[in-house]
Amino acid sequence: MAASIDAAAPRPPRLRTLRLGAVSLRIDLRVLLLIAVAAAGTFALACWAMTLGSFPIAVVDVVRSVLGQGSDEYDFVVRTLRLPRVLSAVLAGALLALSGAVFQGLVRNALVSPDIIGINAGASLFAVFWILTLRSSALLPVAAFVGAVLAAVLVYVLTWKGGVSGNRLILVGIGVNAMCAAATTFLIVRFPIDDVSRAVLWTTGSVYASSWGDVALLGAGLAVLLPAGAVLMWAMRVLQLGDQTARSLGQAVERTRLTLMLVGCGLSAVAISIVGPIGFVAFMLPHVARMVAGPMSGGVFVFTAMLGGAYLLAADVVAQHALPVSLPVGVVTSALGAPYFLFLLWRTNARL
Amino acid sequence: MTTTVLAAPTESRLQSEAVTLAYGDATVARDLSVRIPDGRVTSIIGPNGCGKSTLLRALVRLLRPRGGTVYLDGQAIHRLGTKEVARRLGLLSQQSPLPEAITVEDLVRRGRFPHQSFLQPPSDRDHEAVERALALAGVEDLRDRPVDELSGGQRQRAWIAMTLAQETPILLLDEPTTFLDVAHQQEVFDLVRRLNREEGRTVVLVLHEVNDAARVSDHIVAMRDGAIVAEGVPEDVVNPEQLLTIFGVPCDVMCDPATAARTCIPRGCLLQPHITSARAGGVLRTSDLSSGYGDRRVVQGVNVDIAPGRITAIVGANACGKSTLLKTLARLLPITQGEALLDGRSVLEGRHRELACRLAMLGQGAVAPAGVTVEELVAAGRYPYQRWWRQWSPEDEAAVTRSLEATGLGALRHRQVETLSGGQRQRVWIAMTLAQDTPVMLLDEPTTFLDIAHQVEVLDLIADLNRREGRTIVMVLHDLAQAARYADEIVAMKDGEVIASGPPAEVITVDLVRTVFGIDCRVTPDPLTQRPVVLPALD
Repeated sequence: MAASIDAAAPRPPRLRTLRLGAVSLRIDLRVLLLIAVAAAGTFALACWAMTLGSFPIAVVDVVRSVLGQGSDEYDFVVRTLRLPRVLSAVLAGALLALSGAVFQGLVRNALVSPDIIGINAGASLFAVFWILTLRSSALLPVAAFVGAVLAAVLVYVLTWKGGVSGNRLILVGIGVNAMCAAATTFLIVRFPIDDVSRAVLWTTGSVYASSWGDVALLGAGLAVLLPAGAVLMWAMRVLQLGDQTARSLGQAVERTRLTLMLVGCGLSAVAISIVGPIGFVAFMLPHVARMVAGPMSGGVFVFTAMLGGAYLLAADVVAQHALPVSLPVGVVTSALGAPYFLFLLWRTNARL
Repeated sequence: MTTTVLAAPTESRLQSEAVTLAYGDATVARDLSVRIPDGRVTSIIGPNGCGKSTLLRALVRLLRPRGGTVYLDGQAIHRLGTKEVARRLGLLSQQSPLPEAITVEDLVRRGRFPHQSFLQPPSDRDHEAVERALALAGVEDLRDRPVDELSGGQRQRAWIAMTLAQETPILLLDEPTTFLDVAHQQEVFDLVRRLNREEGRTVVLVLHEVNDAARVSDHIVAMRDGAIVAEGVPEDVVNPEQLLTIFGVPCDVMCDPATAARTCIPRGCLLQPHITSARAGGVLRTSDLSSGYGDRRVVQGVNVDIAPGRITAIVGANACGKSTLLKTLARLLPITQGEALLDGRSVLEGRHRELACRLAMLGQGAVAPAGVTVEELVAAGRYPYQRWWRQWSPEDEAAVTRSLEATGLGALRHRQVETLSGGQRQRVWIAMTLAQDTPVMLLDEPTTFLDIAHQVEVLDLIADLNRREGRTIVMVLHDLAQAARYADEIVAMKDGEVIASGPPAEVITVDLVRTVFGIDCRVTPDPLTQRPVVLPALD
């Protein structure tokens, strides 16, 4: 097959090695630059997002309020109402995108993400059950988290056959997904319509009415899991060469894979438990990141987080302000993500 | 515009006229005019990526030419209906999809499709054709067996039987012998000869092995870079000058006086004598070693002493356990009995990483992830020396640069692996194994899928590394000729056991080849190197 044009012209990567005593990290300057650009972009978008709403505020006043030097009339709107929502969107988007990056790398299949292999569905099932039977929002995140983890454990256990193979994981995941979705539908059909409407709203996923508590949880999750994931990318690079090659390079393959799965589940479970199962962010953003920045590495992983945050924030702005009625953000991400999924399938197909 | 008036000599029903072939925007072949002689066996040969399979696809109407026309019986083939073409041309593709759990007979019956119409029950003619195809391909006994339970050679014969049931006067087979060992290859070629001699069918083969083409065909079409560079009877094509043009490799050609069959021996580099002493370490031996997959024991009680600092080749028929032995040595499979010792310590001892610093293994069919560059892949070979907090050291840099130079990949350093040719790709994987910087290297079939030029390239590289750096190299080879030429020691295996080991001149004999591969052959010394050359006897 002929080489495509961009591949034929090799561009040497700008790799630098950062040395600090026994520590030496390999860093691609281009990726570093991309991260900086994405961070700046996200910040600008966030500031702009906070100016919008039924009570418009100038950008200058928004920045002042965020920095704690604003006037009282703006402080309440910005710091209590808008900032938590913006932060939740950014943090949840980052978590979801990272979990997609982990799962796609883990099974060497670009069409995988936690929403496809049943982890989101597990969280939804537990959350819906919780809402319908106890009618309380308290501890809802815990229920969703437990659901996500149980679904992941179920997938892993059912996939295990002296080792975990990527394709089997996908097939089992799709089965678990279908089971959980069926159980959720069953609950929705059986319970009174008033309770059900709340549950259904939750399952679309939304950052509506986020509190500082939500932000703290999301932030804590990201603070632990982002570095863990970035470090694991070093091992995943080798795992992606195939089990046998990875093993002959001295990698404890099953241990690496289990750790990656735990981190991937954690990432998506934390996000889902707070904002609900927002679809397609996990699936789509890792692709975009890889297209822009190249194969997954620690740096690209961080870049993926930035993109995920920016994307979910942008989707929330659209959901909140673009239409006469405001929508849950999950509707917008799915509306944009599903066509992208089809486009991706079509493109892979066209290449064959 | 009518095309039937075009002169179609009776002796060629299938021909192409100035055909240009392209995939998307990439032109693969230009201006190809071929006449497939009727009632003969024609082989299309050439290096990897020269467009030979593409030409075959065009000849059977699977690919519409960008320019020019393919004629079948004087008619432009793309004006004929699909079934119409399938009644005259039978194609066996290179990678038949993995068969589902259907029996051989079911599979063969599907070959009757072009002769059946919608909802029509199988006619007597269909039954007869299926029976004949089963008998011809010698798979009558296997008719009720599921296809996915068959061995490689049997499976290939089942697929050929399906193509035969199509009852076409012209058969086209794309690389029908890849994946097969010598005995199974022989089986397939015997069948091809029989179909041609006894049934008078026209057969077109795409082959990457020159020697197979020389033995089996009456007419050879040689391609390079999308153009036909030589055409004619085997004697005209299989000679040193032509082979140099086709593959770019100097070859010797030996002629078997008994059968007049020609065998080409790529010359490659002249092996230097061993001057460097073996590296410290790298003494690999096994005692009474058994291993396998699950309950199935594949390697049984193997005792081998690998000569340090030398090249050892493990040879044997398909499924004799040679790859399994290699994997067991590399700790990729559990040992069920006995032990494998590296420098006096069991390979199971210690951490995986620690073993990976002493022993490197290159498996078969490794695929690089999309977008990975040559340098990145080679750098992965340094993994056992690294930790996430110690990702890159000057030694890593030096080892990567050294192995890129040793494999001649310096210029391709930043290219993406997926854009390289098969030979280059294999060199990248070897470079990765090299960067691991271990005294022992295990290579599983490093030359499969490669044409002779690339095979020579890879084997020369391995020999050179061995000579210059004193590394111990153990490789599994399915090609006996290559093993004889490059290895210092041969280990011959059959049914999971070692049945002979020693220098090629002692080990490779007519008897051994018969025992191990089940074929008759002649063994003569290569005039240039004095190493044994195996000439398979046909029919």
